[in-house]
Amino acid sequence: MSKLRLTLENSLNDLKDSDGRISMATQAALLMFLITLTLTSASIQKFLATNLDQMLGADLVLETHEPLAPAQENALRGMASGVSRTRLSGITLTHKDAWARVQLKAVDSQYPLEGTLRIADTPASPERTASSGPEVGEIWLGARLATKLQARVGETIMLGGKALTVSAILLHEPDRLMEGHSVDLRAMVHHDSLSATLPTSGKDRTRHLIAGPTDAQAAIEAWATDALPAASIVKKHGGQHPLATFWQRTENFLGLASVILFFLGAVALDMTNRRWLAKMRYRLAIYSSIGTPLGTGIAMALGGWFLSFLLAALLATGLAALAHSAIIANLQTVFPGAEASWSVADVAQTIGLLLMLLMALQIPSMLQLSRASLLSLIRHTGEDSHVWQRLFWGLLSVSLLAAAYSDNWLLTGMTLAAIGVALVLMIALTWGAVRLGDIWGRRRTGLLPFAFFIMRQRLFAKSAQVMGLGLCGLLLLFTLMLMRDLSSMMEGYARTHDGNLMVTEAQENHVEALHDWASANQAKVLTLRPFVYAKLISVNGERLNDYMQKPSDSLASLQEPIRLHWTDQMPANNRLKGGTFWQPGTDNWQQISVEPEVMTDLNFSYGDTLTYQIGDNQYDFTLTSSHVFQSGGGSITFWFQVPASARAHIDAPSRFMGSMELPEAAWDKLASLWQQHPTLALAPLRELTERFDQTLGIVTQITSGYAGMILLLALFVLAASVSGFRADDRQKNGLLMSMGLKDKDCLWLNFHDWAVTALVAAAGAIGGAWAAGLMIYEAQFGMSYQPNLWWVAGTMVLMVTTVCLVGYLACRQSLKVSVRDLMNG
Amino acid sequence: MKTTIELENISHEFTTDRECIRLFEDLSMTIRTGQTQAIVGPSGAGKSSLLSIAAGLEAPTGGTVRFFLDGTNVDARTLRANSGFIFQQFHLMPELDAIGNLALPLRLKGARDAFDQAADWLAKVGLSDRARHRPHQLSGGEQQRIAVARAFISNPSFIFADEPTGNLDARTSESIASLMFDCARETGCGLVIVTHSRRLAAQADTRLHLEAGKLEMAA
Ligand SMILES: Nc1ncnc2c1ncn2[C@@H]1O[C@H](COP(=O)(O)OP(=O)(O)O)[C@@H](O)[C@H]1O
Ligand SMILES: [Mg+2]
Repeated sequence: MSKLRLTLENSLNDLKDSDGRISMATQAALLMFLITLTLTSASIQKFLATNLDQMLGADLVLETHEPLAPAQENALRGMASGVSRTRLSGITLTHKDAWARVQLKAVDSQYPLEGTLRIADTPASPERTASSGPEVGEIWLGARLATKLQARVGETIMLGGKALTVSAILLHEPDRLMEGHSVDLRAMVHHDSLSATLPTSGKDRTRHLIAGPTDAQAAIEAWATDALPAASIVKKHGGQHPLATFWQRTENFLGLASVILFFLGAVALDMTNRRWLAKMRYRLAIYSSIGTPLGTGIAMALGGWFLSFLLAALLATGLAALAHSAIIANLQTVFPGAEASWSVADVAQTIGLLLMLLMALQIPSMLQLSRASLLSLIRHTGEDSHVWQRLFWGLLSVSLLAAAYSDNWLLTGMTLAAIGVALVLMIALTWGAVRLGDIWGRRRTGLLPFAFFIMRQRLFAKSAQVMGLGLCGLLLLFTLMLMRDLSSMMEGYARTHDGNLMVTEAQENHVEALHDWASANQAKVLTLRPFVYAKLISVNGERLNDYMQKPSDSLASLQEPIRLHWTDQMPANNRLKGGTFWQPGTDNWQQISVEPEVMTDLNFSYGDTLTYQIGDNQYDFTLTSSHVFQSGGGSITFWFQVPASARAHIDAPSRFMGSMELPEAAWDKLASLWQQHPTLALAPLRELTERFDQTLGIVTQITSGYAGMILLLALFVLAASVSGFRADDRQKNGLLMSMGLKDKDCLWLNFHDWAVTALVAAAGAIGGAWAAGLMIYEAQFGMSYQPNLWWVAGTMVLMVTTVCLVGYLACRQSLKVSVRDLMNG
Repeated sequence: MKTTIELENISHEFTTDRECIRLFEDLSMTIRTGQTQAIVGPSGAGKSSLLSIAAGLEAPTGGTVRFFLDGTNVDARTLRANSGFIFQQFHLMPELDAIGNLALPLRLKGARDAFDQAADWLAKVGLSDRARHRPHQLSGGEQQRIAVARAFISNPSFIFADEPTGNLDARTSESIASLMFDCARETGCGLVIVTHSRRLAAQADTRLHLEAGKLEMAA
């Protein structure tokens, strides 16, 4: 009991000095970040799970991109107790001079199978429920759409030559879940209202809402897997929310962020650990001189460490709870109705994980503590700094965290490699600078040679300090640089874009109309590139979702049909990244070239066979090369390209994608083009930039929050490096002054010491950031790495100045006390 | 029942990468409770090493060391739980105040009245009014008095002191010396003092002289 109290008193005592505080603050900051991440993620997962129950509108939903063949339709209806068929297509609706791109849902009379629709007479009036969709000849408009088109209930809207009466404002669809986080404008009609001639686009989706007992569901699922390989299935029970993978990817990105933060935290902790260790060794030696076994002492030291960790955890949990509810409140736009919920198990798990990682960092110290001895009180025994052990355990725990949190191995590996480059550079520079300085100074007198002599004496301690500051500088520099370049790239994107109107999808019969309209309105068609919609269904004969389980951006996009382009020449805005590109006019049409990021995410290698569902048939292609985007020559590029000779073998309608340049006067004439061709998808860049600005806003918010965290931890590292070495500096200064050196000289000497430290660290940081830039910019963000030298130099000068200034201030403070300290022994 | 430390024909040496430093050879001595012994000799003779071997902190390179507590042969760890140390550099815990330092051994042993006993001892060494002061607020002599009291407070069988007055002036040394010998006689423990002060050594029951690897009874 008294030992426990003593342990408690000790750890409270340890919090009174700066090392203890910095170490606790670092632990608390890391914990807070991770707990907030975990809680937020748990709340979202919970939201997704309950959401799935309430928002499917059926027991089972089967989604295909082509309508089912009559035989398949009959088979399905034979197995289910109820089936409702809906079809979704992207079209442009016009009303007077207003137009809008909408997701039109055509429903049958059975819709919806479960749940109710909610509608109203105007966007603002009280809502009422409806048990079935619109009648033939009617159309329901989503609230935002009605506002945008300025259409009221009772008015008429033309669609593909048919007049439809607006009969209600659509507020909620029970199968809304299937739309995920889409913010498209929405409208609903009865299936029979659409003329059969309305052309379809490859992005259209047919959905069968299915009701039936559990065994029928299982049978349908088995049948669909076999008969409709390109279909996707969402189940109410044990199913996966479509938003789940989106969220998983967000989490993975944040995972990498936490790895970097943890790395910084580990550096700060390592620095404070040095003093902690010295203190514990002293304490244990005294304990053992008054008859306490070493084992008890170690247990108490560990206990004290654990208590301060618990305190940090308590503090962090409180702060995380606040941050968590603020974040969930902000995420309402993406996850409407999500609630901030508490999951004790998740919090405990996170705290446990961090505890384990921190303990791994603590292992070298524990090993050294077990060698603490009473003998050191009688006779000064040297202590080694165990740099390699600390480095090893530090890297191990960072890699463990990376394994637990990150899925983007390429990015994680590159980050770690850049850190490695910086470490090697700094070790070499520190040793080189200090050794050379020492050799140079051997035959000279003066302060600088002496400064080098002292640095050499403390080479190990010095290199730990340099490495810590350097790593911190590297991460800071790189994060700031990347954020700056990313946002300027995104801002510049809209400007460098060719043309001001994107043709996102045109069908073969649209092309002529487009050209005609363009020449009639002084507009220019800049590019039009052909493609077919193709869904990747298997890799080397294995179904895509069995082949690859690791979530990624690429995998998520491949759940939908993608655009398959054919070309004989490497497009001007692409260059060969690997493999061999085909010769023009090759007979071997079953070749494919893939974008390298997709290759990495999906773990493809050259020679793999990719099978696509295109139209009603399946086609095999052998992966022979990879191409990467390069700027200049237009912005439209494709993930997958095949030889031009392949087109003749593929039975599917061609689509086109491209860009146009419109004069100001032509914009108002667009409505007439759309009235004739409602399925022509055009995206004015004005809208695109608007969407861009929204995305940019979110990205900026996230990155500045993250940069704030990094800055905070960088401050901890700086504070730790000053405080951790203060005792050494104090002793050194006391000694120098007792040998008759003046205050001023002492300060000057220390300034040299800090300047060398800061400069070597800066060199390491720049080297590492340069390596990271070379590797990561190109591969992950498709940007060429052209660092702004002035900016880099400016940032570095700022960092070096800060370090020197803080070191100078700390030294002045230590000079005041050091002589008296020395007298006290 | 005998409580003794027996050193029999021990020898000790350090090998560094360049040379082999031989401190002593074939050396025997016995330390008993109720007796005070002083070890004197020039600096570097190996006094501290001999003390560490006797206290079971180090094993000698040759010979045998046996520890007996109440007639039973025990290992070095058990002996250490029953011994106290006094150092040249005092070695108080800097973050604890005077009474906290004194109470520490008792609290580590789980005694309930640790602070009461510590207050008694503080009065005994004449520092009651400095109870709340931390080591850096005390003079060397005051710190050493607390260190002495700390060594005795848990009633050990043996006390080992390595140059306990090496950092103090003559008058302060005197008072520390009498404090140590008084306490030792009062509690009946065995006290071994390494010192190069003749005045201090003179107060011990036996005096041993260590020089050039030989240990001899001094007059
Ligand atoms: N760990 C060690 N390694 C090498 N030599 C040592 C070590 N410890 C002590 N010595 C040497 O042993 C000799 C005796 O040391 P010590 O016992 O401290 O002598 P004293 O206490 O009599 O001054 C000294 O010359 C010292 O340099
Ligand atoms: Mg000595």
